Amino acid sequence: MKIETRLFAALVPFFLIVALAYGLTSKFEPVGTAALFLLAGLVGMIAGYLALTARHIDARPEDDPDGEISQGAGELGTFAPWSWWPLVLAFAAAVCFLGLAAGWWIFYIGIGISAIAVTGWVMEYSRGLHAH
Amino acid sequence: MAPVTTAPTHAPSAHVGVNRPNPVSVGTIVWLASELMFFAGLFAMYFSHRSVMPTQEWEAHASNLAFPFALGNTLILVASSVTCQMAVWAAERFQPRRTGSLVQINRWGMNEWMVLTFVMGSVFVAGQVFEYAELVQHGVTISSSPYGSVFFLTTGFHGLHVVGGLIAFLYVLARSHAAKRFGHHEATTAIVTSYYWHFVDVVWIALFFVIYVLR
Repeated sequence: MKIETRLFAALVPFFLIVALAYGLTSKFEPVGTAALFLLAGLVGMIAGYLALTARHIDARPEDDPDGEISQGAGELGTFAPWSWWPLVLAFAAAVCFLGLAAGWWIFYIGIGISAIAVTGWVMEYSRGLHAH
Repeated sequence: MAPVTTAPTHAPSAHVGVNRPNPVSVGTIVWLASELMFFAGLFAMYFSHRSVMPTQEWEAHASNLAFPFALGNTLILVASSVTCQMAVWAAERFQPRRTGSLVQINRWGMNEWMVLTFVMGSVFVAGQVFEYAELVQHGVTISSSPYGSVFFLTTGFHGLHVVGGLIAFLYVLARSHAAKRFGHHEATTAIVTSYYWHFVDVVWIALFFVIYVLR
């Protein structure tokens, strides 16, 4: 995972320099200075997490210059094959936004549908056929 | 959930599975990094109002803040991050329930630690509501002055994040209680929710420093 970590870590000093240069030339104008310094934080966060993760896992075939595609065979992760719940949640979001435009009482109905949708989505692989 | 595998081109000969980073955890961190930019917008708003508002007027509004109360509230939130991490360590042991009595804290499982974290987070939110009520009584409202606007927008959006975290804790507990076998699915849920909680905690420390200490 060295490549990924370095890609993000290298951007930290870059954005720090940019933030400092921007601050000095703009007399530390608040909006851009805050955004640029926290941009360094953004890439630093990801770099730090990737570095931590790399310490917990072995080198992957991708990290080996002589690695073969077939070495990467096997389980990639656990993914939902399909789900209706995102559709329900999108509908709930649409109802909420309609509420903002047409009247607050509709918004509260949207919140109710959201609660059903989020619960259904979160619990989808904990109950019914998938109970474990 | 269906495990997704790639099809090997030839029969795997003594193949050892590749240990990969958990995509849920990495995705959560990338999303939290973007959340940092959301709060960058709020900090930028706060600082730019501070730079254009007359200093005396700003200080007159800021003097209404109750520092000791906010400090106590902050300490509760920081402590809730510690209990959240205890919950994560229990989840990594795949231990949802306590093995001893309720007072034997060292035997607690993830559920007990998560409930404690939830209670502490709720106390923080309740403390903020109390603080808001006090400020409104002193005439600092979201529409009273630029100071009131930036104060309630920054702390309010943070408060909404805390409430979101509390809802997430409920789902962590729901998944844990629904599972007969507490496994990676439940542990991952607890771990990524703790990332979010720690993030919101760190953001609050920054907000607290800027709003209450620097004023």
